[in-house]
Amino acid sequence: MGFFDNILLGFRVFLDPNNLFFCAIGVLVGTLVGVLPGIGPQGAMALLLPATFRATPTASIIMLAGVYYGSQYAGSTTSILVNIPGEPTSLVTCFDGHQMARQGRAGPALGIAAWSSFIAGTFAVIELMCIADPLGKFALSFGPPEYFSLMCAGLVLITYLAQGSTLKALIMALVGLFIGNIGLDLVTGLPRFTFGINELSDGVGLIPILMGLFGISEVLENLEQDLDKREIYQTRISNLWPSLKDWAEAKWAILRGSCIGLFLGIFPGGGPLLSSFISYAVEKKISKTPEKFGKGAIEGVAGPEAANNAAAGATMVPLLSLGIPPNVSMAMLFSALVIHGVQPGPLLLRDHPDLFWGVIASMYIGNMFLLVLNLPMIGIWVQVLKVPYRILFPLILLFCLIGTYAVNNSIFDLLIMILFGVLGYLLRKLGYESAPLVLAVVLGPMLEQNLRQSLLLSRGSFMIFVDRPVSAVALGIAFVLLISNTFRAIQRKYRRKYKT
Amino acid sequence: MRIYDQVSSLCWLLLSIAVCIESLRLGVGTLRHPGMGFMAFGVSLLLGILSLALFSLSTLKPEEGKIAPFFSGRYWKRVLLVLLTIIAYAELMPLGGYLISTFLLMSFLFWIVKGQLGWVLVLSSLTTLITYCVFSVWLKCQFPSGIFFE
Repeated sequence: MGFFDNILLGFRVFLDPNNLFFCAIGVLVGTLVGVLPGIGPQGAMALLLPATFRATPTASIIMLAGVYYGSQYAGSTTSILVNIPGEPTSLVTCFDGHQMARQGRAGPALGIAAWSSFIAGTFAVIELMCIADPLGKFALSFGPPEYFSLMCAGLVLITYLAQGSTLKALIMALVGLFIGNIGLDLVTGLPRFTFGINELSDGVGLIPILMGLFGISEVLENLEQDLDKREIYQTRISNLWPSLKDWAEAKWAILRGSCIGLFLGIFPGGGPLLSSFISYAVEKKISKTPEKFGKGAIEGVAGPEAANNAAAGATMVPLLSLGIPPNVSMAMLFSALVIHGVQPGPLLLRDHPDLFWGVIASMYIGNMFLLVLNLPMIGIWVQVLKVPYRILFPLILLFCLIGTYAVNNSIFDLLIMILFGVLGYLLRKLGYESAPLVLAVVLGPMLEQNLRQSLLLSRGSFMIFVDRPVSAVALGIAFVLLISNTFRAIQRKYRRKYKT
Repeated sequence: MRIYDQVSSLCWLLLSIAVCIESLRLGVGTLRHPGMGFMAFGVSLLLGILSLALFSLSTLKPEEGKIAPFFSGRYWKRVLLVLLTIIAYAELMPLGGYLISTFLLMSFLFWIVKGQLGWVLVLSSLTTLITYCVFSVWLKCQFPSGIFFE
């Protein structure tokens, strides 16, 4: 089938009323999650997962993807109006977006944020259409050594780009690999690290881990503080359509932000968060009036918003074409696909073209839905913001409990979730990030399988990872990143010593 | 922060030792025929090395300012109470059933942050009934009915 036939197939699949309905629900929940601080897209995706069991795989993935990119869209609303990012990816939007609101320009700030997101989201869909297919076909020539090296590089990259200490991120990744090892051995079928607990034979479920680390721990951390402290900046929201002057100032920022997001989104760890920060830094650097940044510069809203939305779409490329999730939300989508009996990777396009192109078509129409949800309906989201946290946190906890229980109807899963909730709470306090752990849990079994297959193929020689070009390049990148990080740390230490 | 890094690195070191011992028991195998514990053994070695590195780095690093208290928020007791409540919920749900245990859980959670009794009861009843209708009736999730409704 040709390119346009595929796009037509996608729209035909998407226009099925069932898929349209699920897309609408997904972007609606995504917007809600994006607006409300305290629950992220990962938690919401995990919560909605049981609701997809009776739906088709295509409808399920359309909905979960909608939650993901919808939350990136709406995170800016709270950043602009409340100065609290709905999602970490909208943190930089606070700098100038909230200042614009304080100057009585909340409307143009919200408008440019929504339009930048729409434009960048459209670019991301085009990138997905153009790159995922050829990359998937290229990946068909990959064997176990290539996959092993790519996954290693992905894990190293996500730890390299961690916000805190890289050493701690690496420790988290290793703990995740160990947790991924729990359960039946892939070759012998014998249990390992199960401590005689039958429920652990299938391994530790991803949903309890996600709910615990991202849902429960977040609630526990918030409960420590005085609740309901946030205040909505009282301003009239008008002129949601930015003026021509605003457009003139923002247009190149949108383009640059989109390019940054499209590029960085493909790499593990380089998703929406990093893209938005880099976009802000670039805009400030090349601006003729950098002193305006932080005081209500529209480029400081347009660039990062475009970047985080472009990156959100681009992160689908490695998942759909290589079967390697680059971040936690994609790991969630990965699990959803596996639960529905669909194996993400190079064969996805051949075996399930309807799902692949249907999801792409849904992302484009979903972007339009989001524009409607985020501009004319902004008043509703402002009201949602006023729901006090003392009402929200019991609901978040209950949804985490129900969502986890419903996957396997298991009380044991609930206890695992609570355990990971406590672990996540402690890890937050100790400065460890949970993302490398989750990604390693997902990649762990695949990593082990590919390592063991590679060693069997090479009769015990590790040279198989260096002999193959793709594998060698991936391992080389991982090695360079690790070395550069060590040098950076030593350099910092000496600089500090020299100063004192 | 230094003391926290030291303690956490020692915990990871203990974990790595435990995993190393267990993977040796499971069988590491050879490079030609990797065994069940092969990957876990490698992971535990790396984890051990990194946790030792973290311990040394945090020990050598000078302490910056005062040690911040581990529970910095004013309401850490509330955290503990909520945690114990959800553990109790998980344990009691098979006995009490979804409706009763969820109603009790929600009442407690709404009440714990300055809730008025009337509102607490209304909100808890509504939440319990709506979630039951959505998840059990509509989505066919199989919640335990408990000893009272059997």
